[in-house]
Amino acid sequence: MAFITIAPPAQPGSSDVALSAPTKVSGPFSSLRSVPSHILLIALAIVSIFPIYWMFVTAFRPPSDALSTNPLPGPLSLENFQYVLKTIPIAGMLANTFGMALALAVSQLLVAILASYGFARWDFVGKKALYLLFVGSWLVPFQVTMIPNYLLVSQMGLLNTITGVVIPQLCSAFAVMMLRQHLEAFPKDLLDAGQMDGRSSWRTLWEVVVPNLRPALAALGIMLFISAWNEYLWPSLIMQKSDALIQVGIRGFLGAEGNNWGAIMAASSLACLPIFLIYIFLQRYVVDAFVRSGLK
Amino acid sequence: MFIETAGPATGVAPAGLAGLPVNRRPKRRAVSPYLYILPAVVLLLVWTYWPLGQTVNLSFNDWNLIPTKPKQYVDVQKYAKVLSLPELHQALLNTGVYILAFLGISVALPLVFALLSRKVQGKARTAYQALIFVPFLITPVASSAVWRWLFAPEGGTIPAIAAALGAPMGNVFRNPDSSMMAVIVIVGWQMLGFGVLVVSAGLAGISPDYAAAASIDGASGRQITWRIIIPLLSPSLVFLSLMTILLSAQWTYPIIDLVTQGGPGNSSTNIYYLLYQFGFRNFDAGLSSAAGTLFFLGFGLIALVFVELSERLSFYDN
Repeated sequence: MAFITIAPPAQPGSSDVALSAPTKVSGPFSSLRSVPSHILLIALAIVSIFPIYWMFVTAFRPPSDALSTNPLPGPLSLENFQYVLKTIPIAGMLANTFGMALALAVSQLLVAILASYGFARWDFVGKKALYLLFVGSWLVPFQVTMIPNYLLVSQMGLLNTITGVVIPQLCSAFAVMMLRQHLEAFPKDLLDAGQMDGRSSWRTLWEVVVPNLRPALAALGIMLFISAWNEYLWPSLIMQKSDALIQVGIRGFLGAEGNNWGAIMAASSLACLPIFLIYIFLQRYVVDAFVRSGLK
Repeated sequence: MFIETAGPATGVAPAGLAGLPVNRRPKRRAVSPYLYILPAVVLLLVWTYWPLGQTVNLSFNDWNLIPTKPKQYVDVQKYAKVLSLPELHQALLNTGVYILAFLGISVALPLVFALLSRKVQGKARTAYQALIFVPFLITPVASSAVWRWLFAPEGGTIPAIAAALGAPMGNVFRNPDSSMMAVIVIVGWQMLGFGVLVVSAGLAGISPDYAAAASIDGASGRQITWRIIIPLLSPSLVFLSLMTILLSAQWTYPIIDLVTQGGPGNSSTNIYYLLYQFGFRNFDAGLSSAAGTLFFLGFGLIALVFVELSERLSFYDN
């Protein structure tokens, strides 16, 4: 939902070129001249990281030290985490949210693979008009359609269920547009070769196209997962009487705990943990996918 | 359930495709492309376009969202009412301020940072960028909690620093003069890294040959920046600006809901939060839908103008 793309991304092969640095200008003074740049970037990095650092530092302090202004962690304690685990079923919330985000990422990816293949491979009557449906959908903010969506989910009897959160978002127009651009750049020779081998279009898709697009699909899938995990508006409307998902469950905890900052920071760091782990291990994919959405 | 509807493609496609001559794109009246795009189109129609029609429909009715209570047709009364509400004027004004603030934070500032830090390359650059991007990935409940803690009047880091500098501050979220600023700080902190990465990636995509050639021709560093680099970056900048204008109200929504609830006294609300309050707090479906329809038309118009302008202004190197 949050991302739109208005121009084709770099070709699959050249994406590394776009993000990796050009060859370094060497010379005796190049390192000296870059000192102000380093200072600027360090300052920016500190501003970006300090709140997150502070979240973890506060979470790992003994509750009696919560108001400490010592910038260093000091004696570590797991008491805040134990308190959170005891007070709210946070493990269950994390598992539910993980399942929700995974289901959304997988279904959005599948729907987008099929649709983008249909658009990229054939010319057909009404193609432009149908594609316009996808481009136009980012002009329809979710807040404008939330009442009819809410009523529909309610009629289906899915209020306060995870299914109700998932179902309206099974198709991501953004994913369709991103993948279509990848597929348009897909070598036509490979498709034709598949066809000459007597493969059906269905088998060509799964045996030729998908295996060759694996990096792009992985990047897009991770991005869809992160977006689903961080989605707030729709879960907050649908799950008003349930705290099965982390976004809503922690919101209730924040309200109940008031100024118990140690516990609040512990719960918050748990809410971000899965995304941090993904980022640490798959950083390239994550940055690539999010930034490519904004490349010319 | 929808994914399975695509299954029949297996049955239809082989017979149709096997006998075709090798074309770049088979062009014929086949059902297979329609079957492939069917799940996506059905989902879009059911969950985006049909609800959009419903919203327009609801905007002409008086209804409190209770299924047993019949809707009552009221013509354009809801539009007349919503346009006269001071809350709407405040929300529109705030949304404008949010957009201007984020044009600064997620477009202008990243441009300055990216240009000034061009000399840092290689591993160091990747490391800085990795850190700068982290706030963008923080889930809204966590970022709002962290910043409430940083701004907490008792024990919060920022008020402590402010007091040490001789400028004591109270509770920023409860003060109508600062509540909006606080929302801008939190969302800006999340969006800055995204802007920096998009601009840097755009910058890295510009061939250094242009600058080298211009420099041989005697162009100064400033001339190269203004006459070559920025025009070549314009597609990235136009994209970021359009996203900022269209999505600022959505970026701020979760933080407004979690931190200020639009207050105090509507000082930090925005147009989408207003839709939520009309619909799910006041249970006035007609009012929320009338306002929603107006915002949809307004943003659609802005987007069309913007796309038209960017076609004319953007400068490509191909």
